[in-house]
Amino acid sequence: MAQIKNASDAFVRSNNEKALSDVPDESLVAQVARGNSAALEVLYDRYASRVLGISLKILGEQALAEDILQETFWRVWQSAATFQPQLGPFTGWLFRIARNLAIDAYRRRNVRPQAFMGANGVDPILDATPDPDMNVAEQAQLILQSQRVRKALGLLPGVQRQVIEMAYFYGMTRQEIAQATGEALGTIHTRARLALQKLREELSGEDF
Amino acid sequence: MDSHIEELLPFYTLDALTNEERELVEGYLAEHPEARARVQELQSGASALPYAVSPVEPPGQVKDALIRRVTADAQARQRTEARVPTKPSRGGLWLEDLFRVLSLGAATVAILWAFALNGQIARLQEQVASLNDQVTAQSESLDELIRNLPQTGESDIISVSLKSTETQPRALGQLIADPNDQSAMLVISGLPPLEPGQTYQVWLIGNAPVSAGLLTVDENGQSVLIITSEEAIGSFNSVGISIEPEGGSMEPTGEIVVLSEL
Repeated sequence: MAQIKNASDAFVRSNNEKALSDVPDESLVAQVARGNSAALEVLYDRYASRVLGISLKILGEQALAEDILQETFWRVWQSAATFQPQLGPFTGWLFRIARNLAIDAYRRRNVRPQAFMGANGVDPILDATPDPDMNVAEQAQLILQSQRVRKALGLLPGVQRQVIEMAYFYGMTRQEIAQATGEALGTIHTRARLALQKLREELSGEDF
Repeated sequence: MDSHIEELLPFYTLDALTNEERELVEGYLAEHPEARARVQELQSGASALPYAVSPVEPPGQVKDALIRRVTADAQARQRTEARVPTKPSRGGLWLEDLFRVLSLGAATVAILWAFALNGQIARLQEQVASLNDQVTAQSESLDELIRNLPQTGESDIISVSLKSTETQPRALGQLIADPNDQSAMLVISGLPPLEPGQTYQVWLIGNAPVSAGLLTVDENGQSVLIITSEEAIGSFNSVGISIEPEGGSMEPTGEIVVLSEL
């Protein structure tokens, strides 16, 4: 009897997911806020690989990054009602949760992050390669998007790219970046501003 | 234009400011629409950064574990809703104050819960009626409701008055729980609504703090939260509420506004 019920539940869940597969993110979040777990599954399927990529980038440790992935979507489940679409897209909110959790975990457990620059001087963002087990057909859109952003980042001077990477992926403050790089605070301010402006120009027309 | 604050704007869009700096920037942006436009431009660059990372396909067991957790929580919510009266006895009056309805429903749940555990039917029903009359007829505030929450006497249910800290002395609350159970109800008032980007987070504290959920208060500073925990409530020593960044934290990092022993 239990097996029949489990199969039935899975069937219902699968049908619900199919019905929701074309629904925009913001509508799905509203449904999650009303307790619709199928809507959460659709959001998970859309963005889990991206969230895991961000967590892994920050933490450099697969098991811990998977914990952050689960915790991120648990927070979405718990606090979907607090999402305010007028302040920005769902992905911005989702990635901010994941990033904050990962940086918290990094600071708490003192996990060694990936180096800011690889031994050969190549930025690890640009050197990253997709997981070999990844379903490329399903993830093609995400990969193409990543390639476009990495290409734009590659056009930045290395010192500018380094500043925004240290700030975003490692949660470092302006002062910490200035100290780590040995540069004046004013230089750090300028590099961050120029990097973001250049990135915007290179990616104009992209929808993030 | 304030050149010092303008220098902070790129780091504001990168979410890499201290709390004090962020508050400073947000105050500035509220008064300078031209600065908001500049932030929006920088933001469109910063918002691309998460996409620079290659997606990594997670193993299936992560999703399975999440779905198990969510399903258990959804079932707990459904059980809670099933105990709440769905048909108001006095029509329009209930719609005038949604929070009052939630508060009454929550109090009713607590009482029905105690009823199921210890059989004190008559006494608890009197308390329900008493609360009902208080809320619907007298339009009392939640503070008043909290002061009149049932005291459960010799039953296993505990009702803990929550103590505010010096930072939020007006905070007033109650935690109602069966120490052997894994869920509890928290009713709170007197907490000011927070700025965007911040949230209240509830913690159950044993050997280490464990998140018990995020709390959103209404414009009157009031909220009701059903807490579910992986451990029995009685295994924790204290309960606390802190102010955390949006989405919550893995452990308390911000100001503690409520802290009480269980």
